[in-house]
Amino acid sequence: MLGLEHSLEFSLEACILATTLLGFFGIILKRNLMMKIIAMDVMSTGVIAYYVLIAARSGLFSPIFNPNDAHSPGAASGAASGAASSATNALGSATTNPIAYADPVPQAVILTAIVIGFSIQALMLVGVMKLSRDNPTLDIEDIEQQYKP
Amino acid sequence: MNPVLAVEPTLATTLEENLDKTVELGLFHWHGLPTLVITLVWVALPFFVGFSIYLLPRFDRILALTVTLCSLAYGLALSVSDQSQVLHLVDRFGVTLELDSLSGYFIVTNALVTLGVLLYCWHQPKKAFFYTQVIILQGSVNAAFICADFMSLYVALEVISIAAFLLIAYPRSDRSIWVGLRYLFVSNTAMLFYLLGAVLVYQANNSFAFTGLAQAPKEAIALIFLGLLSKGGVFVSGLWLPLTHGESETPVSALLSGSVVKTGIYPLLRLTLLQPDLDPIVRLFGVATALMGVTYAILAKNTKRMLAFHTISQLGFVLAAPLVGGFYALTHGLVKASLFLTAGNLPSRSFKELKKTTLPPFLWIALVLASFSIAGLPLFAGFGAKALTVKYLLPWQELAMNIAAVGTAISFAKFIFLPVQFPWQIQENGTAIVVSESISRNLKPALFVLIGGLLLGNAIYLEAYSTAKVLKAVVTLGIGWTLYHTLIPRITFKPSHAPEQFDHLIGVMSLMLTLIFWMVVA
Repeated sequence: MLGLEHSLEFSLEACILATTLLGFFGIILKRNLMMKIIAMDVMSTGVIAYYVLIAARSGLFSPIFNPNDAHSPGAASGAASGAASSATNALGSATTNPIAYADPVPQAVILTAIVIGFSIQALMLVGVMKLSRDNPTLDIEDIEQQYKP
Repeated sequence: MNPVLAVEPTLATTLEENLDKTVELGLFHWHGLPTLVITLVWVALPFFVGFSIYLLPRFDRILALTVTLCSLAYGLALSVSDQSQVLHLVDRFGVTLELDSLSGYFIVTNALVTLGVLLYCWHQPKKAFFYTQVIILQGSVNAAFICADFMSLYVALEVISIAAFLLIAYPRSDRSIWVGLRYLFVSNTAMLFYLLGAVLVYQANNSFAFTGLAQAPKEAIALIFLGLLSKGGVFVSGLWLPLTHGESETPVSALLSGSVVKTGIYPLLRLTLLQPDLDPIVRLFGVATALMGVTYAILAKNTKRMLAFHTISQLGFVLAAPLVGGFYALTHGLVKASLFLTAGNLPSRSFKELKKTTLPPFLWIALVLASFSIAGLPLFAGFGAKALTVKYLLPWQELAMNIAAVGTAISFAKFIFLPVQFPWQIQENGTAIVVSESISRNLKPALFVLIGGLLLGNAIYLEAYSTAKVLKAVVTLGIGWTLYHTLIPRITFKPSHAPEQFDHLIGVMSLMLTLIFWMVVA
């Protein structure tokens, strides 16, 4: 069974990295500026999925603190150390706790990156909207030619 | 969207834990307050004040100036301290900050460059939005200069991208929007590679701290380096820089070249100091960047493009000797900001046109003073910085860096040998050429701060003043000027703009990634 699980995980990882690469090549090969931005979004989707995959290495359950779950090693230390205990919980879960929690840190961190990525994308789309008035085709070569120093 | 926001909810608990430690280490004993509190207030202040400026547009310049002066004081206090201090917020997976004199130098650079730019803009009709962005940019650059974990660095770098984009696009012309868009696109793509590297570091260590890079797989190093090299304008990944820095408005160019681009360089220095086996790679990139930048700078026909290419070459100097890079970055920031501000007020941007005009003495003297410092002539901090860098070079680097120094002398001879008319040269019936009232009102206070900083900076490394080193600086300049008059006019080669096209900038990332990977594996 372990072998199947591993091969599944590997193929998932391969798919995620392929998404990232496809997005990257889309940025290079697409001529339309709008399509380039969408390709960048595809690439960032790949990166985000990679974070989620790595967070799921220790387990699949959402790492939400549950006071009823008092027998688990992290929960006993109480809510004061909040995030710290849930991480210990997730890490220690493989041996002592039957519930295999996902690692909360990469998930929390990638949430920040998602927000940043989407605000940058919004900003870029506004820029492209402005540019499209004078360059309705949004072809990268035309734009570069026009604004050449 | 800054690291501070993420930290604050847990501030209360961490303060208690860190209070004992910080008092005992006591970086800021004279304040009577623990380092952690001061540092957090200092990091958060620009963001609070930056947004307040938008609410209180009447006090925009005063507020911006106050924040910058606070930051300058903090940076100066940090740069004279001889201890290094690591602050952990939350836990091992939380935010890590590292404070030592290296970060101090970069923070002082940032503060002085921003101060110069603020003084330059003081009498110009800039809206509160401009000052908001300048202060937020300053805050995020400061944050990048003290963080010691990959995630805080990522957040700081992305906030920098956004603020820099808004500043570049401030004139709202289509051209400025395209220049900004291109910058944002290239840096965001590079940061996506960086994010992949960061999660690999986390996987190996369960922590994002810089110290974990040693245990991380090789591909993590390659991915993170690609992000930082692109962001920092190093070697071929830095070819986005000339258009961005050359085509922005004068004060924005000064900010970008003086301090913002160094946010990619600082983490590279920090990682190299932590992990000595990366040292040869960074030094090699330093040498290659210095030579590439200076070659382009010699061939450039446009003042601001020349300055932008020269920034690339100077970043190479910073990387070539990682241990003392902070001082070099400081002198370069001051020089480049004053040069961009002065060059923006020249009657033309083409050297060919400028040779036909006559410059007023004020602008010429400003150009010459800054050029002398960057060429490493005594009396300026540039001399000490160059001497210190040369001292820490490895034998194989010295020849290449000397060539790059001669190249610097050649490229700045273009400014020094521009025609100028001094008051005593005026013919009987001629009129003196003077700068307009508005130019001198804008430029004088800014140059006073920047060039004054260069003169005071001498104190950092006074041991540089030995006969041999002074002689070497003069000889380098002599060789450069001789070449400028003999060999350079015969070169008609004009480098192609193709490598600076958008598709090539993105495509070269894949090549660089492969290159860095094999360099790390080898």
